[in-house]
Amino acid sequence: MTSLASTRDDTAFLDDEGPRSRLARLAQLQALQILLVLALIVLIFAVLRPDTFLTPFNIRGTVVNTSILAVLGVGMTFVIITGGIDLSVGSVLVFSGVIASKVMGAMGGDGWGTAIVGILVACLCGLGWGLINGLLIAKARVPPLIVTLGTLGMALGFSQIITGGIDLREAPDVLVNTVGFGNIVGQIPVLSTIALVVVVLGAIVLHRTKFGLYTFAVGSNAEAGRRVGVRVDLHLIKVYALAGLVAGFAGILNLSFFQSTTISGQSNTNLNVIAGVVIGGTSLFGGVGTIFGTVVGLFIPSVLQNGFVILGVQSFWQQVVVGAVLIAAVYVDQARRAAALRGSSLQFPFLSRFGSGPRKVNR
Amino acid sequence: MNRNGAIIAGLLTLALAATGCGSSNPPSSGPSSGPLKLAFVQGVIGDAFYVTMQCGIEEEAAKLGATVSTNGPQKFDPSLQTPVLQSVIASQPNAILIAPTDVSAMQQPIQQAVQQNIKVVLVDTTLKDPSVAASAIASDNLGGGKAAFDAIQQLAPNGGKVLVVSVQPGISTTDDRAKGFQDAVKANPAYQDLGVQYSNNDPQKAAQIVSAALQANPDIVGIFATNLFSAEGSATGLRQSGRQGVVKIVGFDAGPDQVKALQDGTVQALVAQQPALIGRDGVTQAVAALKGQPVTKSIGTGFTVLTQANLNTPEGQAAVYKTAC
Repeated sequence: MTSLASTRDDTAFLDDEGPRSRLARLAQLQALQILLVLALIVLIFAVLRPDTFLTPFNIRGTVVNTSILAVLGVGMTFVIITGGIDLSVGSVLVFSGVIASKVMGAMGGDGWGTAIVGILVACLCGLGWGLINGLLIAKARVPPLIVTLGTLGMALGFSQIITGGIDLREAPDVLVNTVGFGNIVGQIPVLSTIALVVVVLGAIVLHRTKFGLYTFAVGSNAEAGRRVGVRVDLHLIKVYALAGLVAGFAGILNLSFFQSTTISGQSNTNLNVIAGVVIGGTSLFGGVGTIFGTVVGLFIPSVLQNGFVILGVQSFWQQVVVGAVLIAAVYVDQARRAAALRGSSLQFPFLSRFGSGPRKVNR
Repeated sequence: MNRNGAIIAGLLTLALAATGCGSSNPPSSGPSSGPLKLAFVQGVIGDAFYVTMQCGIEEEAAKLGATVSTNGPQKFDPSLQTPVLQSVIASQPNAILIAPTDVSAMQQPIQQAVQQNIKVVLVDTTLKDPSVAASAIASDNLGGGKAAFDAIQQLAPNGGKVLVVSVQPGISTTDDRAKGFQDAVKANPAYQDLGVQYSNNDPQKAAQIVSAALQANPDIVGIFATNLFSAEGSATGLRQSGRQGVVKIVGFDAGPDQVKALQDGTVQALVAQQPALIGRDGVTQAVAALKGQPVTKSIGTGFTVLTQANLNTPEGQAAVYKTAC
């Protein structure tokens, strides 16, 4: 993960705009802060259960359980940076898994040939839904919330029509044994390595390429982007297509891991991914965000669930705590953003409201 | 970390502290010392069947001096149960009692528990290869399906068309109930089997299935709903079609809603499992396995058929599922 941390300084290309550079730095700051929060959570659990929480088995398990969400999180980060939202990812994941399973089942065979066709089919299905989302949002001007709410229902509905609502299980043995449960070396799971590759690629594209730069530009000020020659419509279509593509890819990973299309298990996946992205410092108002933050943000719910189960705390509490962290993260984002836009210092003494912080009023 | 970070951290510590206080579980000691640590992984949380099983487990564990922690997924789905199971394994209990949510998808995650030297006992549902478990305890579901058909024969003695509303294929328990029922129907020429429809554990879908089936076959005499949600939905479907009382429904399980449906006359009979007994047997087998004593690989538990006539007898009341211990 440290390789990702080093990409945090790449938003420097926005430096020639005053407030923008501040906002960009905010995102990095928040990603770093949320890393500290994650470290704190890990520390608390590690202190409470020193002999069980930080075992290789548990770390490996938690990482594996977060891997598929991380793949989805890459696409979602791009979408949210453009100021949009994609509610359809969980359904697109299911749909892609269903179609891939159908195709692989029809082909038969347990070899790599069938598996590769399945992977391609899943990616194409995801890409298709992403393009539909993008076209409707960019060209038909239907708000992203509505478009993706619509495709959420449609992708899930089609999955249930095709399967009769019954989970499919066709996945070639090679996929299950390598991608699903294999290890690269020792205890390093293949599934998480694949997710890491997707995350690193996503971070490079977002922070090092023109595509990423355009994504930030569209999200912070679409009109300004248009005037300097960014084809905003086309770019939005590409971003939603990317989100669909990774959701399709996540579909085949999901099928490999669970050997089931998990039709009923993905109803909250979209919200979990969005929460992770936002906790990680990506602003719902667009223009600000990092892939690194998203990955950290996604680990917080996973680690909390894991830790609570180990502590023997009712797992309902995980939702309560994640909800609180989510609101706190957005509050911090909002407050800092307001301060940055006023051109004042990044520090602002809102703690003094409660009479506990230092009374440093510098305005 | 600056002050903003500090606020998040503060909130979090508070929340964690609060949850720590809210926990009712006794503090457990190290993995090797003290009483035996058992963990129960439910198929889904907040279901009367699993709550009753939990009661049985806790009761028996208290007798044998073991501690129990109970966890489960929000929905009956392997993608949600796997992370819960993984965390439970990480907490290093001596034995895990689990109701797998899928015969194949849960095989590998449960194998991981066995690899960590944790004894596994399957309760209620089972696996494709149950040999990894020390013991598997479940209702004899084939027998349960047959019991349901016996109930329908009594309620609609003249014969006719019968339908099964089940959850989804791949769940060993409901598959067997449906099979037991269908086998019994085939053995009796007076009845015609309309096959199995799947509700995907969604009461609304079950209601639609029953409404649609009545459109196609107005002369259905009996419906066997293989689980809680299917029965609830089937009852709704009959009510929507105005055929309640004419078409006899035999439900499986005896949760509060089924019992109310039975009292209201929407459902005419219930085949009640014995979840508390499954739980108690599960603990006995797990503890025996841990102590190196002989275990029974497979245990089938029986049923109680509930009707309005026997519901209020002590025996009937004992068969009703609990919502809290």
